[in-house]
Amino acid sequence: MVTAMLTPEELQILSTSLGVAGRAVLFSLPVAVLFAWALSRPRFPGKAVIDTLAHLPLVLPPVLVGYLLLLALGAQSPIGAWLKSTFGVQLAFTAEGASIATAVMAFPLMVRAIRLSFEAADPGVFEAASVLRAGPWDRFWSMALPLAWPGVLAGAVTAFAAGLGEFGAVITFASNVEGETQTLPLAINSALNTPGRDDVAFRLALISLAAAVSGLILAEFLQRWARRRLEA
Amino acid sequence: MTLRLREAVVRRGGFRLAADLEVAATGVTVVFGPSGSGKSSLLSAIAGLHRLETGSVTLEGRVLEDASAKVRVPAHERGIGLVFQDARLFPHLTVRGNLQYAERRRPAARNAPIVIEIARRLEIESLLERPIRNLSGGERNRVALARAIVSAPELLLLDEPFAALDGRRRRDFLTLLRELSQEQGLPMMVVTHQIDDAAELAHEVIALREGRVMAFGSAADVMARRDFATLLDRRDLGARVAASAVAGGAVEGVWVRADSVLLASESPRGISARHVWEGTVASVTREDDRGVLVSLATDAGYILSRITPEALADLRLAPGTRAWAVVKAHAL
Repeated sequence: MVTAMLTPEELQILSTSLGVAGRAVLFSLPVAVLFAWALSRPRFPGKAVIDTLAHLPLVLPPVLVGYLLLLALGAQSPIGAWLKSTFGVQLAFTAEGASIATAVMAFPLMVRAIRLSFEAADPGVFEAASVLRAGPWDRFWSMALPLAWPGVLAGAVTAFAAGLGEFGAVITFASNVEGETQTLPLAINSALNTPGRDDVAFRLALISLAAAVSGLILAEFLQRWARRRLEA
Repeated sequence: MTLRLREAVVRRGGFRLAADLEVAATGVTVVFGPSGSGKSSLLSAIAGLHRLETGSVTLEGRVLEDASAKVRVPAHERGIGLVFQDARLFPHLTVRGNLQYAERRRPAARNAPIVIEIARRLEIESLLERPIRNLSGGERNRVALARAIVSAPELLLLDEPFAALDGRRRRDFLTLLRELSQEQGLPMMVVTHQIDDAAELAHEVIALREGRVMAFGSAADVMARRDFATLLDRRDLGARVAASAVAGGAVEGVWVRADSVLLASESPRGISARHVWEGTVASVTREDDRGVLVSLATDAGYILSRITPEALADLRLAPGTRAWAVVKAHAL
């Protein structure tokens, strides 16, 4: 039904967006869980550094994030050159690059949601697990993660919804390539800058809005589930 | 199963517990003391949930922790179970899931407790598929106890496991604890601040006061000490009578409150009271203008009675005189 309402061009843009945001979440979720877990622990050396690192994309201009990625992973950089020569992989100006830029930008959101759900778990149950012979690693998998699971999902969905709208970092690192890196916001920008395509921009804006709203509703639903689950 | 704490010091916030003790830990050992005396801290230290600042803990010769030698067996490797006051069931699992969590992590052993049998024994069989949030306080306590027993610890610590229970349910739970300790051959250490529970359960007693171990040893010895009375409210003052001295010896002992004991200067006849002990007055202590505590040495041990100064004068009681202590059966 949705496909029937959209033009092939719009479908293309929507699927690029979903793909970029989806892969971004997939790449960054395990790292975000790790960061969130570490940050939910009591004080430890280096916590402030990790905290700062996790929140940095929130305060940096997105264009700067894209530029830093270009410097770090672009074809001219040592890492970029190595990736190209060893795996034949190029990140800058590709859909993968767009996913990485989106992942970096959505990272703080994800860490925050997941960290909150780790912190919401009663520390008492971890003591109870340890006197039942569960070691630290066991407790992470059998207690912390299952208890935080809905929060992890909610964080992922929020990050996905936000990822659909990432502009600055993507356009700087991955550029605006139709069918490759042209996501919804990039397409809206292009349409607005082209005379006579105002109606296209308007329709794309509606699609973008619908996607974002459904993402937020889903995330809210998951958060509620998370709270119910933690009630003993 | 000898448990030994040597100059062990635990600090939690502003609270400091210093413990130096050794108990045989067969059957039930009661950790007794008023609130804030350090009972829970002692259990936490033994279970390995709180680090010792100094000193050591050994169980049956095995060093669990030695602060000076920097040895510390983590809680999950100690094989010591702990039932928390607030049950601490896992909210994302069902009752069965909680029991299986313990079952999966215990070492393989031929005579390990079987989940369904323990569930039946603790009358939680019908609750197995229920989520934790639908359980009542009493049900939670029983599930927590079942979970701890299923994990087959070498020593089981219980932190006021009957705090949420009252009346009949409390008595049933006490009986169950004693029976389980025997059936499973499982030594238990039970925290309580209720003197009746302590007398009923205790084979041995560790008495705590203001973060220090006041006494430890057999229930008969510790509870008969003069300073043991300082742990009690005025209305709880009394004496422990061994279970063998009263009818229905299914318990270790009974606490007989001084307020529930009458004294007679002659052998009473034609009365309804079931327990009459003959003895010699050992001491007479004036508490204040309202009460006098008379200690009577009898075959059942010392019995304490609180009488008025007028009654003391009427009966002409003094150390060395004969007297009879009378106790109603339901006071036991």
